[in-house]
Amino acid sequence: MMLDRLKTWYDGFRGAGDHAITVPPMDGALRPNTALDEARTLFDWPSPDNVATDGDTAVFSSGAEVLRVRPGEAPVHLRTHPAPVTALAAHQGALATALATGEVLISGGPHDGQRLAASADLPISCPVALAFRDGDTLLIGNGSDRHDAGEWRHDLLTRTASGSVWQVDLKTGAAECLARNLAWPRGLLPLPEGVLVSEAWRARLVVLRPGAEPDPVSTELPAYPGGLSAAPDGGVFVSLFAPRRRLTELVMRETAYRDRMMAEIEPEYWISPSLRPMESYYEPLQGGTLKKLAMLKPWAPSRSYGLVLELDSSFDARRSFHSRADGTRHGISSTALIGGTLVVAATGGDVMVALDMEGV
Amino acid sequence: MSQPSEFYSRWRYRLFPDHIVGEVLSKNWIDNAIPFLILIASVAFFSVFIQDLFAPYSLIDNGRQIGELLLVVFGMTIVMMAGGIDLSVGATFALATFCSLGMFNYFELPLAVVVVLTLLLGALIGALNGALIGFLRLRAFLTTLVTLIMVRATFDTLVLNYQVEVSMAMRFSDAWDFIGDGDVLGIPFSFLLAAIVGIFAHVMLTRLGIGWRIQAVGGSRRSAFNAGISVRKTVFYTYVMSGTLAAAAGVLYASRLGAAGSDTGLGLEVSALTAAVLGGVSLGGGRGSIAKALLGSLIVIIIQSSLVRLGLRTGANTLVLGILLLVAVAIDVKWLKNRLKVLAKVYVSPGYFRLPDIGRIGSSSPYADNNRLADVDLIGLEEIEGPEDVILDEDDNLYCGSRHGDVIRFFSPDHKRWEVYGHIGGHPLGMAFDAQGNLNVCVSGMGLYQITPDKEVRKLTDETNRSLLSVIDDSRMRFADDLDIAPDGKIYFSEATIRFNTDEWMIDALESRGNGRIICYDPAADTTRTILPKLMFPNGICVSHDGQSILYAETWPCRISRYWLAGPRKGEVELVMPDLPGYPDNINRSSDGHYWCAFVGMRAPAFDLAMRMPSFRKKMVDRIPHDEWLYPNMNAGCVIKFDETGKVLECLWDSKGVNHPMITSMREHKGYLYLGGSLNNRIGKWKIPGADPDWTGVSSYWRAT
Repeated sequence: MMLDRLKTWYDGFRGAGDHAITVPPMDGALRPNTALDEARTLFDWPSPDNVATDGDTAVFSSGAEVLRVRPGEAPVHLRTHPAPVTALAAHQGALATALATGEVLISGGPHDGQRLAASADLPISCPVALAFRDGDTLLIGNGSDRHDAGEWRHDLLTRTASGSVWQVDLKTGAAECLARNLAWPRGLLPLPEGVLVSEAWRARLVVLRPGAEPDPVSTELPAYPGGLSAAPDGGVFVSLFAPRRRLTELVMRETAYRDRMMAEIEPEYWISPSLRPMESYYEPLQGGTLKKLAMLKPWAPSRSYGLVLELDSSFDARRSFHSRADGTRHGISSTALIGGTLVVAATGGDVMVALDMEGV
Repeated sequence: MSQPSEFYSRWRYRLFPDHIVGEVLSKNWIDNAIPFLILIASVAFFSVFIQDLFAPYSLIDNGRQIGELLLVVFGMTIVMMAGGIDLSVGATFALATFCSLGMFNYFELPLAVVVVLTLLLGALIGALNGALIGFLRLRAFLTTLVTLIMVRATFDTLVLNYQVEVSMAMRFSDAWDFIGDGDVLGIPFSFLLAAIVGIFAHVMLTRLGIGWRIQAVGGSRRSAFNAGISVRKTVFYTYVMSGTLAAAAGVLYASRLGAAGSDTGLGLEVSALTAAVLGGVSLGGGRGSIAKALLGSLIVIIIQSSLVRLGLRTGANTLVLGILLLVAVAIDVKWLKNRLKVLAKVYVSPGYFRLPDIGRIGSSSPYADNNRLADVDLIGLEEIEGPEDVILDEDDNLYCGSRHGDVIRFFSPDHKRWEVYGHIGGHPLGMAFDAQGNLNVCVSGMGLYQITPDKEVRKLTDETNRSLLSVIDDSRMRFADDLDIAPDGKIYFSEATIRFNTDEWMIDALESRGNGRIICYDPAADTTRTILPKLMFPNGICVSHDGQSILYAETWPCRISRYWLAGPRKGEVELVMPDLPGYPDNINRSSDGHYWCAFVGMRAPAFDLAMRMPSFRKKMVDRIPHDEWLYPNMNAGCVIKFDETGKVLECLWDSKGVNHPMITSMREHKGYLYLGGSLNNRIGKWKIPGADPDWTGVSSYWRAT
């Protein structure tokens, strides 16, 4: 106990251990490219988010609105909810919709009209991920016990890890907690033997298996992982919605500054990651992001970034698609593979783009 | 309204000048500070235990010992500075003592011959070392160790057989006694001799070719060799010098004590080595001085004689020296390795600074965002780099600086063709025409320069008066930034910071301390004087329309002030605009009797907060690389127009920084506004609605009615 405190103090003094402010480089399969910036535009839309598919059509949300999209067609309005949509999942005609109020609604399919609300048995005040295991089983990722879905910056900067993953039997309503103390489980993907979860703030993917501790399968990602979707031959597409930066890591550890910043300044002007490229001169700037010759360098330490990572069936990185600091297709929240085309929702870029997967 | 923690940090950073620590560490003499502190400490320590440590007889006795030790240490220092080591000095010293005694007492040779032969003997032993190490390139440590053993064995054999004969003082010589016991004006002869040798050695090491060669060889053998220095010969000479000096010390010892015993010169090499290393002569070579050797010798003598007087036995004495040597070596290695690292960590010392709370710019604010600079014509796009300031002459030619150290002239009327108007060598920043048509230019890193209409480049000044209490030398100019010329011809210019170079300007923002100043150059008297010291990044300067005052912008505090040059308030400073929403850069006159000011960046709330928390900024500078540091937002472009009272009249925005992020200057000329940016690759030309199409800056200054 005493030694722990001493170690913490020493680490803080020397910049070692937990205070070593490092961010993994983008290298190997994560080597930057401009694939997302060159990708085909499906359509421009304000803040497209939570794209989900059950086969040949996809749904996505934009604020409180839910829309349906088929490749080559304009999006069709489905419905508008009273609160912002925080997650969507689709399965054989059934659609699960999570709202910022903590409700999950089921429409279509055998459980049409069912409504799950946050309760003592199912404390999902902050649902940020949904996935159907089968027609009767819904997986819910609860981002945090302490913050709302809209307060993701708060959750990140305070280094909160109070998220959980729940499995709900839609026939009986029985809820089972698969894991607790996760750091913002923003993406869920059912696997034959368990469920793959993206733990955003720990920048890793873990597999939850019944009766076992979370098994980290992909760690030290250079950005915060969000939505997960299935790739052909057992692989996974990981959407990474914001880049990790050393300044952010520093602020998380400098609690005096962090607390005052969070108390006194509007969240969009914090030192924190962002989904969107810089919009206001009130946003903080990092040295490398200073424009030189009226040009933003692609390698600049920007607050936002666009990144989709493809993993193979053993969760090793296969390839990646980038929109770098000077690009605009930032804040990739989710993807869905529809007939050989990967539909990518660039929330921060206000655009839906398509990546054609060759050889699929 | 400030919180208690802020109250503390405000006073903490006001009262304790952190930046002094870094400035002291950046001095070259800091290498001597550690040995000097050890000297003070040892004097203080032993004077507590020994009442009469500094009694006259004690001083004189010590003085004689010091003289002998110094000669040996000087030799050791010379060898070490060439990257070697000489362990044989103790043995040489002993043999020299014996031989000089023998020659003097037993063979009764003339004194001069005794001295010369003894010195020759020392030189011979040194030459042996030098030949083996320099020419045959054996390892210095092993070779001199072997020499030590051989010479010592010779000495031991001689002492065993002839000790009595040699020590029998049958002969009396005043000169001989004078060498050992004589004084000159109360100073022991041996100390005087050492002082003279020391002065000569100092001159040799610092002023003569051989000394430079020694230091070069010690600093880097390979580079010295590549530079054409005969490394082998240089090394050889250092050992010859060391041997000769050890022998000279032996003569002094012989004449002082008149006897040689088995313990003569025993452990002297350890004392000498300890003294040299303790003084700061680096074992790695290349770093050291005679002054350091002197410091180290003083420490060793004081400790040695104090220990003797405290009753420690000889063995314990050597033990203490050994420990001391170990400590000195450790300090030497760690210091050399980490000095620059420590300096880099300590030099940046953020201060507390709080900007006024002004809220956010709303749509009804005079600063309200508009995109008026969107329709700007571009001049010299991708042909120039870094036009920090722009200026036009009466014939509409456009001048700007470039990162490559040139002043570029774009020809009127269309500004498509250009030439290098003058090459200065440093990045030209602020510019102003004087009455004779000379272009006066502030050049970063160089000072104030002038280009005549005949394209002749002249230096006006690069030096001002050194302030009394500054640790770093603030007489040279590091960062002349912007200038303007008063009606009487005096040039007022700002130096943004005296602590950092131009490329480190952002670090000065993180410090936010009064590191800058405004300087006046008087061309008539050719004098340069600092008139306003301790300003926070003073940047733009503009002489008011009536010529009575100058307006100057301080960038980090986001304010514009007025300094009265004439009139009833002469010499006073008045705050004109205390609460700008951005960081002001250059200020220039506008045709309607007002002023333009460029914002180099906008205040970002997260940065403002960091300014109030110096420890956070310090952590940031320590922990993360430069490119990741927090900056104010400088990717937006903004120019304002304000009147004499500081009221904002107009605001022009390129808020997304499409063409003009970070505008550092603007100049009105014949109805157009020309925009420059120190990191940009273009000059903007923007039509000012309703502006006087005939007004020019030059006529406003020099042809006013």
